[in-house]
Amino acid sequence: MFRYVFTAIGSAAVACAMSMPAAAQDYPTKPVTVIVPFAPGGASDTIGRLATQIMQPTFGQPLVVENKPGANGAVGAAELSREAPDGYTIMAASIGTLGINPALQEDLPYDPREDMEILTVAVRTPNALVTRPDIEATTAEELIAALKENPDAMLFASSGTGSSDHLTAELFWQVTGTSGIHVPYKGGGPAQTDLMGGHADASFQNLGAIANFVREGKMKMLALAASERSPDFPDVPTFAELGIEGMEVYSWQAFAAPKGLNPAVKDVLVTSITEALKSPQATEQLQKMGFEVLANSPVEADAFVADEIARWTEVIKAGNISPEG
Amino acid sequence: MQGHRTKDFWAGVVYVTLGLATVILGRDLPMGSAARMGAGYFPTVLGGLLALIGAISAARGLLRPGEAVPRIHIRPMILVIGATFFFAATLEWLGLAVALPIAILITASASSTFRLAPVPVVGLVLFTVFCVLVFVRGLGVPMPMLGTLFGA
Amino acid sequence: MDLLSDLLLGAQTAFSVWNLLYCLLGVFLGTAIGVLPGLGPTATIAMLLPVTFGLAPETALIMLAGIFYGAQYGGSTTAILVNLPGESSSVVTALDGYQMARKGQAGKALATAAIGSFVAGSIATVLIAFFAPMLAEVALVFGPHEYFSLMVLGLAASVVLASGSLLHAVGMILFGLILGLIGTDVNSGEMRYTFGLWSLADGISFVIVAMGVFGLGEILSNLENETERSTVLTKVTGLMPTRNDLKRIAAPVMRGTAIGSVLGILPGGGAMLASFASYAIEKKASKRPQDFGKGAIEGVAGPESANNAGAQTSFIPMLTLGIPSNPVMALMIGALIMQGIQPGPSVIQEQPVLFWGLIVSMWVGNLMLLVLNLPLIGLWVKMISIPYGFLFPAIVAFCAIGVFSLNNATFDIWLMGLFGIAGYVLRKLDCEPAPLLLGFVLGPMLEEHLRRAMLVSRGDATTFVSRPISAVLLILALLLIASILAPQIRAKREEAFQDEE
Repeated sequence: MFRYVFTAIGSAAVACAMSMPAAAQDYPTKPVTVIVPFAPGGASDTIGRLATQIMQPTFGQPLVVENKPGANGAVGAAELSREAPDGYTIMAASIGTLGINPALQEDLPYDPREDMEILTVAVRTPNALVTRPDIEATTAEELIAALKENPDAMLFASSGTGSSDHLTAELFWQVTGTSGIHVPYKGGGPAQTDLMGGHADASFQNLGAIANFVREGKMKMLALAASERSPDFPDVPTFAELGIEGMEVYSWQAFAAPKGLNPAVKDVLVTSITEALKSPQATEQLQKMGFEVLANSPVEADAFVADEIARWTEVIKAGNISPEG
Repeated sequence: MQGHRTKDFWAGVVYVTLGLATVILGRDLPMGSAARMGAGYFPTVLGGLLALIGAISAARGLLRPGEAVPRIHIRPMILVIGATFFFAATLEWLGLAVALPIAILITASASSTFRLAPVPVVGLVLFTVFCVLVFVRGLGVPMPMLGTLFGA
Repeated sequence: MDLLSDLLLGAQTAFSVWNLLYCLLGVFLGTAIGVLPGLGPTATIAMLLPVTFGLAPETALIMLAGIFYGAQYGGSTTAILVNLPGESSSVVTALDGYQMARKGQAGKALATAAIGSFVAGSIATVLIAFFAPMLAEVALVFGPHEYFSLMVLGLAASVVLASGSLLHAVGMILFGLILGLIGTDVNSGEMRYTFGLWSLADGISFVIVAMGVFGLGEILSNLENETERSTVLTKVTGLMPTRNDLKRIAAPVMRGTAIGSVLGILPGGGAMLASFASYAIEKKASKRPQDFGKGAIEGVAGPESANNAGAQTSFIPMLTLGIPSNPVMALMIGALIMQGIQPGPSVIQEQPVLFWGLIVSMWVGNLMLLVLNLPLIGLWVKMISIPYGFLFPAIVAFCAIGVFSLNNATFDIWLMGLFGIAGYVLRKLDCEPAPLLLGFVLGPMLEEHLRRAMLVSRGDATTFVSRPISAVLLILALLLIASILAPQIRAKREEAFQDEE
């Protein structure tokens, strides 16, 4: 009986080997894994799932989202960089994984530009300067004046050390010549809660995440770190309008693949991902979540990521921020 | 007097070891001050406390009569824990459908009632099929049904 | 009255055929998942999230909520039958529930859990309906100081959980606190005790420690005396609680419901304190505290009610503020966002169908669970009469698969094995695993809130007592510790006298 089993297994193995894709033009011939290096329910997960869901009908093969959370995306990203560049494993990750980790962590087990090809920067959402509802300052200028009067006094909540909102606060202090106390939290939720409860004074949060709180008067929004005003909050100025340069900060999500992808395969992936993101269905849903669809080309995406890494490396250096304390 | 063979004594030794290890491994972490505690503050305090508790427990074990540590059965431990390690090591390579039944057989052999008979083997096959259907197919847990060894 | 029309709207939604079906599907799946060791609601909901995209938002949320509280029911079943707590709240249920099962009272323990949970769930649902918007404000009152003091109270309560030596209880709590340090330090972003392993950067999951120390540890000690175990389980007495039992559990259920409802509202980890706060209270209130840890029915009834009430009220911060109080709630927020609904204070006004439909469906779901679970008890009890030689390999297999599914990583299975060895050896030394697990859960929060509180108050420690809520919590913790130490000191004296004789 065992002989039959082995024969069966053997022939199955041979069959599998023979069905291996011989040429890139056949791509895709088997399911594609989309690594999301964060827990389900987060922004990267949502983007990954939304995009693959829309890609699915025309892609020809199933797209399977796999959550591999850990170390702000480092665990999943390291896994991606070890995979074969055959187009059957890609990743949907965030500014933290691709833009900040390389600037912050010394012994990172991957390099987003050496080990990976950025397929496209999918979406972005600006960070907004928000405060507790009962703070005296009603404009960003007043807040900055108060900060200058009392240096190292105001509590800036962030969703964690080295998070995009922490670094935005750091950048804000650097460009305005002010200072404050950084109070890190475990994720955006608790930080926003303490801000609403008045236990912290100010914070930089993703516009999409706090839009409703601002509308309900649970937080005050003083300025937007974007290139232009948000149509939802036409009264809130951008930092550039206030004469504060260099304060354009977006949180973004991007798709990446292991380095050395066959150009034809890369083309298929980039086209189907960007088309999915640009579809009216996705654009509308993403807009509701506060995201602006970028869906740029691989060349633009790579340059963008390079700029981000350089920029945050500088902020981290100037702010003397390090995970070593 | 059972002295150094009591449970209290050995539990104390374990606590002291863990406590000191915590302090020593964390010696490079910045302590900070009570107002602005560094990453090393809490671990050092906790490690020190655990070592203290351990010292008290060990002393109690030496000074007072207590129960002796019962025999630690090595064979079941090696088989059961070894089976989980085997499963972890071979899951990608063999896949769930192969790694799981082998791991279960290793685990089961830890029991004194273990023997290979037709009924348990059928049960094992059915259980494996159940797990593949429920976890891989039903819930979509990303573990391969057949691993890289079989070309998947 | 407005509430009446709101509830009517909710009833219309919840009792529509599809929503009833999805609610049933949710609670059924939840129960099934909860029963399987290692597989929790977080992993399940994560996997089923894409399925809900095609549903109406209220239907999706009703089903996901059903999975969540269904899994709580199922989780207690495993904790009681095989001493495998799948989440922090069922650690407490396992303490006395498993001892009842060993005495042949598994049926009674399961029924107690089911009835307690139903009563608690029903009351908590009413609370949500009447007070949700008001209660949401309570959540905002709690800052770092209050949370720290709450965690201190929780630590004091976890000492009560140990049935053996006080010294070892404290030792194991400290060990648990230290284990909880592993991973990235929230306050500095620095990695501690990760030994260069990125897989440890986010710390060790509770489930891994629980499956290893409780599950594998228990199996290893059972393997030593297999023959003994089978004889213990032959005499199964009464499946259902007697009238007398019901009388005994009435007060614990009510107290548990009250504690659970209050703690569940706090998004910063209140719900997980609920079950052991309740256990501590029952043990203190009982005339026979020595029975606790040896199969006291109150020790199952109180914590189970507290747990379920907390699970229900933990929806309040999610629905009214858009704040997730646990990973499951974070997933539900994710599901809502995918549906184009931004959770927040406006949900009640803008999505009345969703809000009230969910609330009514929670009660319906709890009823379904009761109806589903009571008849199943007979089946469960039969299941543990399966020869242990067949049962334990299956448990190990489920644990390994379940642990893998947490992060989809085999690394976690290795860790579970290591914790299995630790659990077995510690058992030999009379070191109880329950305080270890509670220390492990509380540790990171204790440190996080303490350091944040010190930062926020610029190093002024007096703020812990000058803030009223924080002060009250600390006083309660002090009283609790005093009440633990008092009999201990008395016993020491008596012991000393006996030694002299």
